[in-house]
Amino acid sequence: MRTNKQDTPQTTPRRSDEPIWWSLFSAGGVCVAMLVPAIALLVLLGIPLGLVSAEQLSYQRLHALVFHPLGLGVVLGALVLPLFHAMHRIHHGLHDLKLAHGQLAKWLCYGSAIVLSTVAIALWLLSAF
Amino acid sequence: MSRKPYQPPMPASWWLKHPAYRFYMLREATVLPLLFFVASLLYGLYALGQGEASWLQYLSWLQQPWVIALNSLALVASLFHAWTFFVLFPQVMPLRLGSRTLPAWLMVSAQWAGVLLVFVALWWLLGGLDAHQ
Amino acid sequence: MPTLAIRLQRYQPEQDNAPHWQDFRVEYDDSTSVLDALEQIKAGQDSSLSYRWSCRMAICGSCGVMVNGVPKLGCKTFLRDYPKGLQLAPLGNFPVEKDLIVDMSRFLDHLTAIKPYLIAEAAPPSQPHRQTPAQLARYKQFSNCINCGLCYAACPQFGLKPDFLGPAAIALAHRYNLDSRDSGKAERMAQLNSDNGVWGCTFVGYCSTVCPKGVDPAAAVNQGKIASTLDGVIQWFKPAKEQSK
Repeated sequence: MRTNKQDTPQTTPRRSDEPIWWSLFSAGGVCVAMLVPAIALLVLLGIPLGLVSAEQLSYQRLHALVFHPLGLGVVLGALVLPLFHAMHRIHHGLHDLKLAHGQLAKWLCYGSAIVLSTVAIALWLLSAF
Repeated sequence: MSRKPYQPPMPASWWLKHPAYRFYMLREATVLPLLFFVASLLYGLYALGQGEASWLQYLSWLQQPWVIALNSLALVASLFHAWTFFVLFPQVMPLRLGSRTLPAWLMVSAQWAGVLLVFVALWWLLGGLDAHQ
Repeated sequence: MPTLAIRLQRYQPEQDNAPHWQDFRVEYDDSTSVLDALEQIKAGQDSSLSYRWSCRMAICGSCGVMVNGVPKLGCKTFLRDYPKGLQLAPLGNFPVEKDLIVDMSRFLDHLTAIKPYLIAEAAPPSQPHRQTPAQLARYKQFSNCINCGLCYAACPQFGLKPDFLGPAAIALAHRYNLDSRDSGKAERMAQLNSDNGVWGCTFVGYCSTVCPKGVDPAAAVNQGKIASTLDGVIQWFKPAKEQSK
């Protein structure tokens, strides 16, 4: 066993900012797994699959549901977090495929997630109030 | 005596070499159809804010064959993603009760139950009960 | 005795600029391991063949090779499982020194960096460190690592970026961080928190598949991501004077 004092000094590497992106990616991963199948089946593919009628997806019902105060949670869970999830995997995928790595690829990936998330939240705020 | 180590190359096609790597790349690629799903929702959110006429236009857009095809792909991708993601959860966050770890199958099943619950809840929110009475 | 075709990757640095394949046939029965086959070749067919081995019982971690492209311990892999013959190559992702021998110093440097030993608060106590079965259970699984390097040969992130600390080093860092007798977590976290620490991993998960001792380094690395995230949050809320210490 060694004690602290005997250890040779070591340079401390810079702390990564990945915890921020990884946390958003993980939360997004849960949302994709939990919410996307239901929304895809019932809303996006609901009418073609015959699972819901056009009346069930009426403008009045959807408007009331989506722009309800709790609807912001749906925008975050089904749009914003999945976006960060997707762009995180694309960022690492670019590195895996040796296509791009470094600061530019990183900020293009997360930057587009931030911009599109802002658009989504703005669209919701404009209609909800 | 001098050394002459040979550094094996790592080509960009490394992931084609083994089934485990191809599976990994397929898992990562689930985000590509997911991007289309997100775009569909974003368009829907915009259409819903524009009024009834544009919402009806959106609903008919959803029924175009290529949109149905891509959203079906997104559905399959999300289920495949769920399958891979749920298995990882007990590995990354083993839940302990005292000195025992909760069995992995229990944590995986609980997550699938969550998927089912969300489906039923959304079906109910969309008036599924009234529509089928 | 039946014989089996073995194709070996040879690299003789004195005369070769790149590796090439050489074919051999070996006699085998149900108990012949890949390591036995290599010994047979060296003793009877080509004494210039070089490979590492020591214990023959999957505890020293010396005889790792790629068997048909999969990282395996030569002593724990049997010819009876490869009726169509097999290809042997040095462990992937490491520089090849000669034939089946690789230079593992990158892995060993990373191992040194994470301080894989108990670090005491002060001088070692005169009393033995007591540990409850529950405290032991927290890290026991990760303590079975034999430093064979198979997980590094399986890890594409290590192949793409050799500075990545890699599966075994991070699993061992996690093992000591989880040990109730250890107080060196802060020193190890400094390494784990970096881009080349736990954040170099994308959870391919193949490291855990190939581990001959069932260690599950992928779980350790990804539990390390949670630990590193929490460590960052705590650092964020710490008063400034504590940080400068």
